[in-house]
Amino acid sequence: MLRALSRLSTSGFRSVARTRTGYSAPLASRCYSHGKVETEEEFDSRWVTYFSKPDIDAWELRKGMNTLIGYDLVPEPKILDSALRACRRLNDLASAIRILEAVKDKAGPHKEIYPYVIQELKPTLTELGISTPEELGID
Amino acid sequence: MAHQAHAYHMVDPSPWPLTGAVAALLMTSGLAIWMHFHTMTLMSLGLLLLLLTMYQWWRDIIREGTFQGHHTPPVQKGLRYGMILFITSEVFFFLGFFWAFYHSSLAPTPELGGCWPPTGITTLNPFEVPLLNTAVLLASGVTVTWAHHSIMEGQRKQAIQSLTLTILLGFYFTALQAMEYYEAPFTIADGVYGSTFFVATGFHGLHVIIGSTFLAVCLLRQAQYHFTSDHHFGFEAAAWYWHFVDVVWLFLYISIYWWGS
Repeated sequence: MLRALSRLSTSGFRSVARTRTGYSAPLASRCYSHGKVETEEEFDSRWVTYFSKPDIDAWELRKGMNTLIGYDLVPEPKILDSALRACRRLNDLASAIRILEAVKDKAGPHKEIYPYVIQELKPTLTELGISTPEELGID
Repeated sequence: MAHQAHAYHMVDPSPWPLTGAVAALLMTSGLAIWMHFHTMTLMSLGLLLLLLTMYQWWRDIIREGTFQGHHTPPVQKGLRYGMILFITSEVFFFLGFFWAFYHSSLAPTPELGGCWPPTGITTLNPFEVPLLNTAVLLASGVTVTWAHHSIMEGQRKQAIQSLTLTILLGFYFTALQAMEYYEAPFTIADGVYGSTFFVATGFHGLHVIIGSTFLAVCLLRQAQYHFTSDHHFGFEAAAWYWHFVDVVWLFLYISIYWWGS
């Protein structure tokens, strides 16, 4: 859903009104003319796995985040949860808050996405003691 | 015995390796003295000795090869291996700086804003002077190949013209790059961006100057009839080095100027 919503980059013909319920067709992240197309679920679980590596190092965390943010989509809360937990393992609060800022930026003109993501992540943010940029007054 | 029974070159004793080593010692210790006691004497002495060593050592090689005939085919083969191995070592030298660049730019730290280019850095437009520089070096690769073919075909005047043009293009690159350095909106002290940019492009620029000098020596030698259509390894070595410098620039351009902007 978030992927479909955010892909308004150039053309406006993709419907903004698509909702998650009943929508299960796989979306290609890349528009290849051939080859196996990765489903949204596969994409998400690949990234959750990436950030769940117990001994992930700081470089890998930053590299993963940069690659993820480079895609034309807003990452699912479950991926962000995994990334925030990686920040916790690495004692990197700065990157954790930066991730939230990046999510808001990726949503672009779709101002309803960021509050939704924060709402989904609230339990994790509380558990890990991560403040949002808004709470810190740095937004 | 009066004649050797093999085709190899048993070089006469020479003082230049020793003077070169002494130069290295004086330059390094001179660098330390300069940093602590603010006097450049020792370092300058080392630099002077280095220049004298290079001049005299390579002059001797030219005498041994061009005038004394010691550079038989097996000897030339050894020289080719040597140049290839040297250029390979230079490739590894640059590989290190590319490693540093990619390490820093693929995973930018929070201090930079977690992004590349880092927050606050205004990068150079890759489609302005850097693109011109790319065209200049690629053109110089064409002219140096033209020079090579001219030498092989015994076309003296064309060889001199194309070699001169190659050197002029090299100087043009250096001048353009110097202007870019002067006008750049960031310095070497501007975080890891400045460090990776200026160290990588800086060493490249130094190699352009070295390569241009090597080609200039070849021009002087060509003018003095040192090269024959079959035997001109000094020129080939200079041309290989020049192509290496061009390739390094292409990697710099794609990685730092274009992708990194």
